[in-house]
Amino acid sequence: MSRPVLQAEKLTKTVTSGERKLAILNQLSLSVAAGESVAILGKSGAGKSTLLGLLAGLDTPSDGELRLFGQPLSRLDEDGRAALRAGRVGFVFQNFQLLPTLSALENVLLPLELSPRAGEDHTAQAWLDKVGLGERVDHLPKQLSGGEQQRVAIARAFVTDPELVFADEPTGNLDPDTGAQIIDLLFTLNREAGTTLILVTHDHALARRCDRCLRLDQGQLLPLDPNTVGGGQ
Amino acid sequence: MSDVPWRLAARSLKRDLRSADVRALFVALVLAVAASTMIAFFLDRLERGLERQAGQMLGGDLVLEQRSPFSDELRNTLQAAGFALSDQVDLVSMISLGERFQPASLKAVDDAYPHYGVSYVDVGNGAEPFERGPLAGEAWVDPRLAQLIEIELGDRVQVGQTELTVSGIVEREADQSGGFGNFNPRLMLNTADLEATGLVQEGSRVEFELLAAGPPQALDQVQGLLAELRRAGVDVRDVRVDRPQLGNALQRADRYLGLAGLAAVLLAGVAVAMSARRYVERHLDTAALLRCFGASQQQLMVLFSLQLIGLALVASVIGALLGLAGQAILLRLLVSFLPMTLPPPGVTPLWLGILTALAVLVGFAGPTLLRIKRVSALKVLRRELDPLPPSAWLVAGVAASVFGGLLWLYSGSLPLAVALLLSGGVLLTVLWGVSALLLNGILHGVKKLAGVGEWSQALRLGARQLARRRQAGVGQLLAFSVTFFAMAMIVLVRGDLLSTWQSQLPDDTPNYFAINIQPAERDPFEQAVAPRVDTQSTLYPMVRGRITAINDQAPMEAVPEDARGDGSLRRELNLTWQAELPEGNQVVAGEWFTRQQSVPAEPQGWLNAVDATPQPDIVPISMEEELASRLGLSLNDTLTFSIGGDELTTRITSLRSLNWDSFKPNFFVIFPPGVLEQFGHSYITAFHLPDEEQGLIRQLVSDFPGVSLLNVDAILGQVRDVLAQVTRAIELVLMLVLLAGISVLYAALTASQPIRAHESGLLRVFGAGNRMISRIQGAEYALLGFTSGLMGAALAEVATAALYIYWLDLTPRLHITLWLALPFGGALLIGIIGHTLSRGLRRQAPAASLGLLGEA
Repeated sequence: MSRPVLQAEKLTKTVTSGERKLAILNQLSLSVAAGESVAILGKSGAGKSTLLGLLAGLDTPSDGELRLFGQPLSRLDEDGRAALRAGRVGFVFQNFQLLPTLSALENVLLPLELSPRAGEDHTAQAWLDKVGLGERVDHLPKQLSGGEQQRVAIARAFVTDPELVFADEPTGNLDPDTGAQIIDLLFTLNREAGTTLILVTHDHALARRCDRCLRLDQGQLLPLDPNTVGGGQ
Repeated sequence: MSDVPWRLAARSLKRDLRSADVRALFVALVLAVAASTMIAFFLDRLERGLERQAGQMLGGDLVLEQRSPFSDELRNTLQAAGFALSDQVDLVSMISLGERFQPASLKAVDDAYPHYGVSYVDVGNGAEPFERGPLAGEAWVDPRLAQLIEIELGDRVQVGQTELTVSGIVEREADQSGGFGNFNPRLMLNTADLEATGLVQEGSRVEFELLAAGPPQALDQVQGLLAELRRAGVDVRDVRVDRPQLGNALQRADRYLGLAGLAAVLLAGVAVAMSARRYVERHLDTAALLRCFGASQQQLMVLFSLQLIGLALVASVIGALLGLAGQAILLRLLVSFLPMTLPPPGVTPLWLGILTALAVLVGFAGPTLLRIKRVSALKVLRRELDPLPPSAWLVAGVAASVFGGLLWLYSGSLPLAVALLLSGGVLLTVLWGVSALLLNGILHGVKKLAGVGEWSQALRLGARQLARRRQAGVGQLLAFSVTFFAMAMIVLVRGDLLSTWQSQLPDDTPNYFAINIQPAERDPFEQAVAPRVDTQSTLYPMVRGRITAINDQAPMEAVPEDARGDGSLRRELNLTWQAELPEGNQVVAGEWFTRQQSVPAEPQGWLNAVDATPQPDIVPISMEEELASRLGLSLNDTLTFSIGGDELTTRITSLRSLNWDSFKPNFFVIFPPGVLEQFGHSYITAFHLPDEEQGLIRQLVSDFPGVSLLNVDAILGQVRDVLAQVTRAIELVLMLVLLAGISVLYAALTASQPIRAHESGLLRVFGAGNRMISRIQGAEYALLGFTSGLMGAALAEVATAALYIYWLDLTPRLHITLWLALPFGGALLIGIIGHTLSRGLRRQAPAASLGLLGEA
């Protein structure tokens, strides 16, 4: 196994609710190797999104250490963590998170604009071609269906040739057929680009496509055999 | 990573122009710039126009007067500073034609006369404009002189030792200032003929005038020299200081426009603040997403600041162009008042406009924008994670500081800016509390509203909606109150200003002055005039006297250095006596004569002063305050007058302010009755003669040949013209302020649209019909409008009273209609705008409106 892209050790996240302290993540450890695809399953409210936020450096743990691309995140401030993500991390969200005033092409260009590769409009166009929306680059999000919006979001996640892509319930807002198409697309692109993929889902069909499955339960990650993950949703 | 995301900023801005909040922000900025540049341009030109007009009345931008010819050295200095010079000599002499003699005031002018304007002279074909004076060997006379000694065009009149051919009858002199100091009939001649007349000799009473015309810089350059000349006893009239006539009204107009401009900027600021809030809320998701993609806080700030600055710059250019167009319209309105040869508009107002836009943006949107910087990337996963809004104190504090700076910039007065700002701050704090209470009260009242009709149900539901987001409600209420207040104030001040002007110059304002009425003619004159005129002022007795000592010192030594050349020390003053304070006069210090003073126990009491025997009682006098201040005089100072060869010592017992624009006889010095009667005196009066009674003048001229009648219709007409034109200008500016106000309402209502969409979506889900929702929303808007109107009325009433007393010099009064019009008008206006704006939302399917809140 190659050098880990992401390494979490004894990660803990507690929230205070009134007088009570609630541990959402409890001394959780995880290591993800480059090129690996990992699914994190769990019930609603198990803390999947909290974990994803921590792993992506969007939030800080209460305790424990996290290394992203070998860099300990605890030594970086918010801007430092953002700089670490720039161009190297892609995101796919459940609710797509496309900017409503930007066209499909402009949405895909967004992460490029923030990187030294600003101006590579043809790259964005190429990615939209890949996701099958090459003819609809000027459409605004509201002119696209949910599946199409998620395709744009996937093109946006891969446009900077990231080393790591996080996906948060990418099929959560889609019907099963569209969801299946999106899953195909996501894994095809992931394989072609050799990207590391961490996805959070409760969609078992989606989880089965990953190299490794983990279940988040009571603040801990437990391994699951992808082949034994229950059929359907 | 590139540090400045230019492309992204430009692209987002272009796309953002579609959204309502950015459009509201844009419109508000455009209006702020348009209002401020238009007013700046206009005031700039008005100022120059006034100066030019004053220059025309004075005869030049700078007029020097003394008893001896001016030195070549002085001429050279003035010419080097950039002045064109013209010489004028004034003296009084006897004019004769055959056996007929008449004393006349002579005005000798050179070939450079006049610097400004034209004279209207009848040289045989009716009055025609002339840009010159009479040629050498010729004389122009006024109609009175022509009538008195029966001069025909072409006659040769004897002037001193020479004869001149009368070539014209002067209807109006180019530099006639409308002053009444000189009551003799007029003869104008060329300075080339002056020597031949032999009238200018050592010891003769001749005034030499040097009239200089030049740019403001030239005036600035010679200020030191002018101070020196004043100390040397030269009468110096500077166009910027000695601006006659129209002063008061235009000064108020000038202040009004400044005020209106500031109101527009303030309103635009409120609109900017409200749209900025919505803008930031809408972009929090974008910011979070960009954080996710690796943008630093600084990059976010740069990105959004660039967008807003870009917006402000485009708005500045459009606003400035509108301002330019607006001032062109103002100029057209004022074309007959402003001189035609104004220099083109300068660039200063443009810079001022851009500065205003940026200042309004930074001041009113800056703190809100900081919120974007603090957004957490985690918001992409948990959308409820919004950064806290900036503290209200920070927002208000920054906005107040920036607005205070603008106040200072525009008013040029730091104390005024600080005072306005402080009182505004206190008022706003009080208002916050009062609005919260008022809103609570009204909501409480409405909830108890009985009745089951659809409207009362809508009212109750509307009130409940308002109550649910009380904090936002109070914020909106405050914004609307300030808007209504600013709009109402500008309308109120306009109305009061105009009616004050109208009452100042009513239709029966005197258009004739009658001077030199002898005591014996007094009663017959009064009987001849009274039945045929609309109004007539008191017949004031008039005695001419010269100040010969101030506090027992020579006047020149007693007055401040720069008042040594003051005309009041150089000429005879018109003195009068009155038992009662004349109408339009106000005692500002000391006390008006008591009965005891005016009816002395010993009728000859004060006359002893004339005999120079020591007397405990010195004659009390009342003096006009501006003259007193010019001469450095205060209560209890003593003045000695020389009247008809006698000396009379007086003491100042009261100072008066008076209205010089009243077109009634006004006096610098008033004595109590019982003192001046012994001296030779005549009477002066003013009356309004209706058009159909013009025949009276011919009758008066023949029955009272010694009485001088001055027609001031032309000057009165000019003043009325200016007022009418300024009124139109004010109305244009008023429109702009109202537009700015509506832009605030638009911005505020746009800002609250998503939340209302969400609510109407929910109501729809619960089964409310379109009509019901529309009524609930209408009721909510109307309640908001009503309460804001009530607050706005209270604010406007207090603020206008303060403005009238401290700034505009008008009498405050209660505006009852305001208290009705504003709440009900407000309910209607907000109701209609809000209802129309949310019509689109009501048409949306509930799913769409419920989703609207969730979109980035």
